[in-house]
Amino acid sequence: MKEQLQIDFDNIIKTSSFSKKDIKLKQNFLNEFIKTGFPNRREENWKFSDLKQIIKKNIGELSFYNDYSLANKIDTSVFVDGLEYNKIVFINGRIEKIDFDYEKKDKIEIIDEPEVDNRPNNLNSLIDLNKAFTNKCYKILIKEDYKLAKPLIIYHITNDKVKSKNISLSLDFQLEKNSSLRLIDLFNDNSEKNFLNIFYNFDLKKDSILKNYKIDKTENKNVKYSFNNIEQDTNSVSETFILSSGSEFFKNEINCNLKGKYSSAFVNGICSLSNNQHHEIRTIINHLTENTKSYQLIKSVLEDSSKAVYQGKIFVNSDAQKTDGYQLSKAILLNENSEFNAKPELEIYADDVKCSHGSASGSLNEDSIFYLMSRGLNYQQSRELLINGFLLDVIEKITDTEIKNLIKNMIGFKE
Amino acid sequence: MLKINKLNAKIDNKDILKGLTLNINPGEVHAIMGPNGSGKSTLSNILSGKKGYEVSGEVFFEKKNLFDLETEERAHKGIFLAFQYPLEIPGVNTNIFLKTSLNAVRKARGEKELDAIEFLKLVKEKSKELKFDEEKLNRQLNVGFSGGEKKKNEILQMSMLEPKLSILDETDSGLDIDALKIVADGVNTLRDKKNSFLIITHYQRLLDYIKPDFVHVLIDGKIIKSGGAELALELEKKGYENF
Repeated sequence: MKEQLQIDFDNIIKTSSFSKKDIKLKQNFLNEFIKTGFPNRREENWKFSDLKQIIKKNIGELSFYNDYSLANKIDTSVFVDGLEYNKIVFINGRIEKIDFDYEKKDKIEIIDEPEVDNRPNNLNSLIDLNKAFTNKCYKILIKEDYKLAKPLIIYHITNDKVKSKNISLSLDFQLEKNSSLRLIDLFNDNSEKNFLNIFYNFDLKKDSILKNYKIDKTENKNVKYSFNNIEQDTNSVSETFILSSGSEFFKNEINCNLKGKYSSAFVNGICSLSNNQHHEIRTIINHLTENTKSYQLIKSVLEDSSKAVYQGKIFVNSDAQKTDGYQLSKAILLNENSEFNAKPELEIYADDVKCSHGSASGSLNEDSIFYLMSRGLNYQQSRELLINGFLLDVIEKITDTEIKNLIKNMIGFKE
Repeated sequence: MLKINKLNAKIDNKDILKGLTLNINPGEVHAIMGPNGSGKSTLSNILSGKKGYEVSGEVFFEKKNLFDLETEERAHKGIFLAFQYPLEIPGVNTNIFLKTSLNAVRKARGEKELDAIEFLKLVKEKSKELKFDEEKLNRQLNVGFSGGEKKKNEILQMSMLEPKLSILDETDSGLDIDALKIVADGVNTLRDKKNSFLIITHYQRLLDYIKPDFVHVLIDGKIIKSGGAELALELEKKGYENF
């Protein structure tokens, strides 16, 4: 793989127009990645999801070369109906469209970051891989006091032109003081055996609000990794909702640094899996100053031989008095071959905090099924009703009514 | 309508019903009384199709072998069980549940399914009759309902589905007098020449409001005595010890 990585990398450099400085930085990231390779189960954070094995099993040999010189045709049939929104369209990792048609033009800045961001990264080797191979990194800046009128949908589309490809993409968001953004990531795959590696960085200034909804619903055989790094200043709010259901493998990581007083982070997620799907949600919430709050609710419904993992860490440093941290994960196992792994972690160095965590898993309650069936519902209807009921409180955590209804429709929740 | 012939039932290798025989004709109200552990709830569970029992003997409902029917098919054919302990179903809206249930039954009976407006009209009407707080219809099914509200909800479901045979499993336990009257009214409204009831109870009290045609004493898995409404009064006075 090592030689191939360098050959593919050189090919990309040849066909792109990076500055010498960028190329050098990218080569450094590549070298870092070559040193460690894909994460495997010997690393604590990857012990439930051995990515190296998962790629080997599901993809085989990965190719790292992508031709970004040609534009892809946008298939508008995958676009969401019945909602006004701004959009960014990625097709096979290439940015095809950015429009903020519904917004005031002078309130949003889109900066093509020519210099590769050189922030120290000690996160994991996938970040190195991402930085080595991302073709463009845009920074989206929302100016002070500006609240976007409409949500932004980022379409992550793949089509059958790509197979066994490594696709890296990266976006940087800066929300200035008292601004707000509602961001929906919609995955729509018509391809298989690709590895998608997505890195978002969010910088939330004082009083800003970010709501990010990640929807992986379309069934596909790709392997995906997504990392959200969220930096939060005073009184800022981040709300992340993950619907993890379509891909063969998907690991979503949320790393949140609550650096400003009264900042708060909410992470809610659903893993709804079947067959041999394997998904993971991993969160790290760092309470770094006093009076910060975090809340997490993750629920999984697992059929066949599917597997879900939730690793949730709440870290409270010694300055972070009056921290309020909560996490709960629950799973329904519908088949004796399905598997749920939970690793809740609390690491607390302050003494005046309120932190709790819980995890539970089990099967569907047979008595409840009997109750519903005795009212004329068949087994399938009863099961569906109970599962929807189980997941409902996670959906209800979505604070944006418009988007909540959109998501309810997408997953067939009956009103 | 219902013919039970020498019904035996076992659970976890323990005999519960030991040759129970009972006939219920259209329009009749039967009450079964008996001490704790005599098999009353087992009987109602088996009739409505709960799994996990080892059964032998015969049960025919309108000449159909009941054991050939799945739980939901029994509901479609007109068997209804008002649960002793109605289950709380988190996340399931009571109205949605009621509509799904009603339309499943109507569909199976070859009747037109109700649309949202028709359904709401009906459920409001029935709720009013039963003095069931309409606001509860928008809540999660039985979640946070008081014992009385749960039982009233069972009777609401019964009156919506209009079953031919309603089995009330200790519906009276835990009810105050007012709620008891409402439940009895629900039953009496549905009572006619075609619809039958099997009322399982510990106390004679409910039978003051729903006058049974027959009273049976169930002890140790068998009906050991049957009689008219006066038998319930006798039991109330003397208890089960003499049997």
